[in-house]
Amino acid sequence: MVAKEFLNDVITSTIMTRRSFVKWSAIFGGGAVVASNLAELPGQQGIGSVLAQEDESVVWSSCVVNCGSRCPLRLHVKDGVVVRVETDNLGDDEFGNHQIRACVRGRSVRQRMYNPDRLKYPMKRVGPRGSGEFEQITWEEAFDLIADKLKELIDTYGNESIYLNYGTGTLGAVVAKSWPPSATPIARLMNCYGGYLNHYGDYSAAQIESGLPYTFGNTWADTWVSNNSIEDIVNSKLMVYFGNNPGETRMSGGGMIYSLQHYKKISGAKMIVIDPRYTDTAVTAADEWVPIRPGTDAALINALAYVMITEDLHDKDFLDNYCVGFDKAHMPEGYEDEDSYSDYILGTGADGTAKTPEWASTITGIPAPKIVQLAREIALTKPCFITQGWGPQRQANGEQTSRAIPMLSILTGNIGIHGGGTGARESTFSISMVGFPTLSNPVSTSISVFNWPDAIDHGPEMTALKDGVIGKDKLDVPIKFIWNYAGNALINQHADVNYTREILGDESKCEMIVSVEVHMTPSAKWSDILLPDTMNFEKMDIAVNGDASNMGYHIFCEPAAEPMFETMHVYDMCAELAKRLDVEDEFTEGRTVEDWLRYCIDETRKSNPDWPDFESFREMGIYKVTNPGDPYVAYKGFREDPEANPLLTPSGKLEIFSSRLHEIGQTWELEEGDVITGLPIYAETWEGVSDPLRETYPLQMISAHYKQRTHSTYGNVPWMKEVAPQEVWINPIDAEARGIENGDRVYVYNGRGRTHVPARVTPRIIPGVIHLSEGAWYEPDEDGVDQAGCANVLTRYRPSPLAKGDPMHTILVEVEKA
Amino acid sequence: MANKLGFYFNATACTGCKACQVACKDKSDLPVGVNWRRVAEYTGGEWVTNPDGTVEQNVFAYYTSIACNHCTNPICVEVCPTQAMHQREDGIVMVDESICIGCRYCEWACPYGAPQFNEEVGVMTKCNFCYDYLDEGQSPACVAACPSRALFFGDIDELRAEHGELAEIAPLPPADITEPNLVIEPHHNAKPIGSPSGKLINPEEV
Amino acid sequence: MQANEWSLIIFTTVMQMAVGSFVILGGVHFFATRRYDAQAADTLSDRALLAIGPIVILAMLVTFLHLGNPLNAPRAISNLGSSWLSREVTLAAIFTIGGAVFAFMQWRKISTATIRNTIGLVVAAIGLLLVWSMAQVYLLPTVPAWNSPATVVTFFITTLLLGSLAVGSAFVLTYQYLRGRNNLPSSDTQFDILSTTLRWIVLISLVLLGVQFVVIPLYLANLAEQGSEAAMASISLILDQGGALFALRLILLFVGAGIFSIFMYRSLSSESRTRMTGYLAYSAFAFVLISEILGRFLFYESMIRIGM
Ligand code: SF4
Ligand code: SF4
Repeated sequence: MVAKEFLNDVITSTIMTRRSFVKWSAIFGGGAVVASNLAELPGQQGIGSVLAQEDESVVWSSCVVNCGSRCPLRLHVKDGVVVRVETDNLGDDEFGNHQIRACVRGRSVRQRMYNPDRLKYPMKRVGPRGSGEFEQITWEEAFDLIADKLKELIDTYGNESIYLNYGTGTLGAVVAKSWPPSATPIARLMNCYGGYLNHYGDYSAAQIESGLPYTFGNTWADTWVSNNSIEDIVNSKLMVYFGNNPGETRMSGGGMIYSLQHYKKISGAKMIVIDPRYTDTAVTAADEWVPIRPGTDAALINALAYVMITEDLHDKDFLDNYCVGFDKAHMPEGYEDEDSYSDYILGTGADGTAKTPEWASTITGIPAPKIVQLAREIALTKPCFITQGWGPQRQANGEQTSRAIPMLSILTGNIGIHGGGTGARESTFSISMVGFPTLSNPVSTSISVFNWPDAIDHGPEMTALKDGVIGKDKLDVPIKFIWNYAGNALINQHADVNYTREILGDESKCEMIVSVEVHMTPSAKWSDILLPDTMNFEKMDIAVNGDASNMGYHIFCEPAAEPMFETMHVYDMCAELAKRLDVEDEFTEGRTVEDWLRYCIDETRKSNPDWPDFESFREMGIYKVTNPGDPYVAYKGFREDPEANPLLTPSGKLEIFSSRLHEIGQTWELEEGDVITGLPIYAETWEGVSDPLRETYPLQMISAHYKQRTHSTYGNVPWMKEVAPQEVWINPIDAEARGIENGDRVYVYNGRGRTHVPARVTPRIIPGVIHLSEGAWYEPDEDGVDQAGCANVLTRYRPSPLAKGDPMHTILVEVEKA
Repeated sequence: MANKLGFYFNATACTGCKACQVACKDKSDLPVGVNWRRVAEYTGGEWVTNPDGTVEQNVFAYYTSIACNHCTNPICVEVCPTQAMHQREDGIVMVDESICIGCRYCEWACPYGAPQFNEEVGVMTKCNFCYDYLDEGQSPACVAACPSRALFFGDIDELRAEHGELAEIAPLPPADITEPNLVIEPHHNAKPIGSPSGKLINPEEV
Repeated sequence: MQANEWSLIIFTTVMQMAVGSFVILGGVHFFATRRYDAQAADTLSDRALLAIGPIVILAMLVTFLHLGNPLNAPRAISNLGSSWLSREVTLAAIFTIGGAVFAFMQWRKISTATIRNTIGLVVAAIGLLLVWSMAQVYLLPTVPAWNSPATVVTFFITTLLLGSLAVGSAFVLTYQYLRGRNNLPSSDTQFDILSTTLRWIVLISLVLLGVQFVVIPLYLANLAEQGSEAAMASISLILDQGGALFALRLILLFVGAGIFSIFMYRSLSSESRTRMTGYLAYSAFAFVLISEILGRFLFYESMIRIGM
């Protein structure tokens, strides 16, 4: 259907359903749902140079998806329909108080709103699970079905059988947000009713979140190791980016790329990008691209360390005074017999292999002389900003890699100084707001975010030492009920789609899957009950914690249009369920969504009186605060005085050798081939660069982020599919060997699955590696062959050793012309 | 005569994100297949595999965001049989959609691909420099959209005075055909027009 | 290749054939009138002339198919000042109307022969101008594959070759038809007109064939010499993707305008072999028509614009 027709269609149906809408809201007395009345919108005059047609109004909204940015959108509304989308246009656009201009996806948001995939009314599955056959039911039926099942399952199995699956489809708001699941209205509901099985980690960065704190100690949100702020690169002389690609992952004004470009211009620092792809970041900002094979960053680091140590370029003072584990003289107490880092690097340790540039070159694909030159350049150009994105760690050896890259910062003593950094992801200035309180979960058991199919299939066999169960030695019950709120990890974004289909397809295992969604996503198709959510542009909320490098901001989102069809706010859905579970008062505390927003603002103002009150904030639309101080330097206090400001590691120092990890490596039950070590080593892995399986499947495959989508969000937007069609990147050398030309349709396959997709033959990827961006909407044909280029029909469901996280970039495949 | 308007495109800043393209489509409700602003990717370079399996390369790429350049010598206006394609006093080249017969001849002629046929209405359409926004004192949608501040517009003489005269880099055509009111800050990878070292790698997208 | 290019292929080929037929017919008529008498000259040519009408109308109608908005079509004549397309459309319209007027007058023998002949001459000239303007339309500085003198030459070859062979076929057809109905006045004269005309047509065909076979390699060589990405892509479209069609076109052209023509020439030695003459004339025409359509298809197919 062409957009115009659909829009007409949508408008007529909206008008038609408005009557029934009013009817059911009368039945439920759900006042908050109808609060989004256009007539009540405050006047927007005087906000910037709003150029609205006479009969148009303009409201602030935001794109709340999981790209890490939070782009302001100014929606032009005419007759209750959003007719045009603009972005922040305030001020004179001077950097520091610049306009936070939305990225390309946000600009296409109308096609997300008025999309034929919109869910219109509650539905229940009628065909086999996954068949996509549903029939319309009433809201009452839906609530009753869910409440009855919840009671039954909790009675039989207990609250540990209820799981809130990972979902990031609506992220960064206050009330209507799906991530983290523990902060959602659904979590609050379940917490009122005995709790649910927790998970830790996330699909984005599980390995670095679990691995890197062993080196640096816990600093932020318990797990986060920060880096200097991006502003601080004005002080750098050299920047080294490992698999960090803000040009495509955080491409908006609310992201990182513009700041990077701006500050880099000021500093004039050289920038080296180390990545299997010549990314858009490399195109725009890099002075040099060093292509590397996926999963081998740690091997490169080893060789760089080898050159630095053998040429005496490392910062010995820093290593002696701030670190443990560099050499025998500085091993943590009780571990003196273990290999030190220099033993490991120089080949004087247990493996007896010197990690020479020649050794690393055959693994990484980078010529040895280049490695030597890189090592000298990095060691001699100070201060040097080293950073990694999350691609390198989304690997079977990701924990090791995430700890290896910061070794460059450590060896060169760049930690805690201006212009230097830690080797982690760059940080930004932000201001934070009190979130929607979700109470606390009576259940403390937690599994890895990636492990839920195991918990469905054989939960009680999962243990702490084997599967990383936290809070208990083992799971007692399997997952029986899944809440899937704005999540597409049920099938699309989880590894090995075909295996997941098997697990979910057995309806006796997980007995009920409820999706709260706005679109008929591939995961929605695998649900039993579908609850149509209102979209963010149909409701009031606050887009929080946006950051544009040295500027933090929050957006007061006004409803631009009435909820379409029979859609309902997720909070009101939960309130209705709370009623049926007899916890309504605990759940709502008598508050509507707007009341909660007022509450959160009031709470915020208690600790931060500068924060605008509800009414003023609403009037402002966007609240920006520019960093009043110096650029942030991570671990500055530690650097200045390590005694007074020790790290939260056992030794209080940087742990190049982590005794805790060493112990874990000795006690955990690991799968054959997996290792957890005290030192950050290069670990060969299954389906890695040296797996003999390459004889059958010779190509490594990565599935990096892509401008068409934020993960799978926007994957059904025609304008975005036109902007960046789904295609598999393949180097001309590999293409020629397979008779493939640019634009040809190909099959990408391995033992787990097969997908059909056009080829982009481009020198922008290293030979031997292909790239199929993650997030395309799984679309199997009758033979189960995906027709959409969904990367996860190929990925492997094998949790990483420590984080038990997803190793999506560790797979081997073959490509053939279709 | 009014001052001629033009675009300034800073290729060193462009990330190829296409926010400009989509902002334009959103503003003028353009269907898939009609792109008044397009972003070309020009890519090239060779790979060499060494005997030890390591690889070396000289790969390069850069983006060029192009709409209509509201040329001084607009070939589309010249060839249009109906005079639907016309140029205003201020240099803005526009199609009068009520006159256009949809013969698509201008599409053949324009080396920038500016005139775009809209199947839904059967006539040619193209960038109109957001003249309605200009009248209100607002920037064109594409310019206001660019997150990386790679796009600007203004009096072409002033733009040239500030940023130079360059209006041709690969994969653009020679500027002497239509004399585009365009100024380009070239990317450090930029290749001269007609260079055999790279190619327009996303022809289906522009 | 856009679907609507088929209408352009048909329009340009058929229009050129019509112009060519008109011109050749005029020539035949001119010489026949001098050698015999006006009536004898009219016998075969009038009927052939009337056949051109529907063909032209068809061609004009087909062009509407390629317009997105045919309702505005009359506006296409409003930019004569700078648009060759506008000029082409205008000349096509004048040629069509002029041709129709002339045919009608000739059919009904309205006015004097001199005036009719003068009108015929003017219409023929307009037709040739039309072919010229058709070629100019494609001489775009932005399309190397078209921006070549070969476009002009080839358009005129198409015009005269198809025109000749069409007239030849029409003559044989009419001759056989009239003879079959025993309706031929002075059949010796008519056979004389027929065979003389066909001999000339064969000679013209052979010459045009020769020219075409010289122009094609020159054109390709020149395009290759330009070396631009667009030029090379066009060559590849003609010789690689379109290779089989290109070869077929050349073979059909050679067989039709060359071999069949020569056999036709030889078949003219005796009136008793007119049936054979007919078959050869029709085949030659059909082969060349298909060849020209293929050639025109490749012409549009090879359109690669410079720039983006
Ligand atoms: S000036 Fe306006 S119409 Fe032209 S490309 Fe930019 S947004 Fe589109
Ligand atoms: S919006 Fe700016 S950075 Fe993005 S493609 Fe357009 S010109 Fe380039």
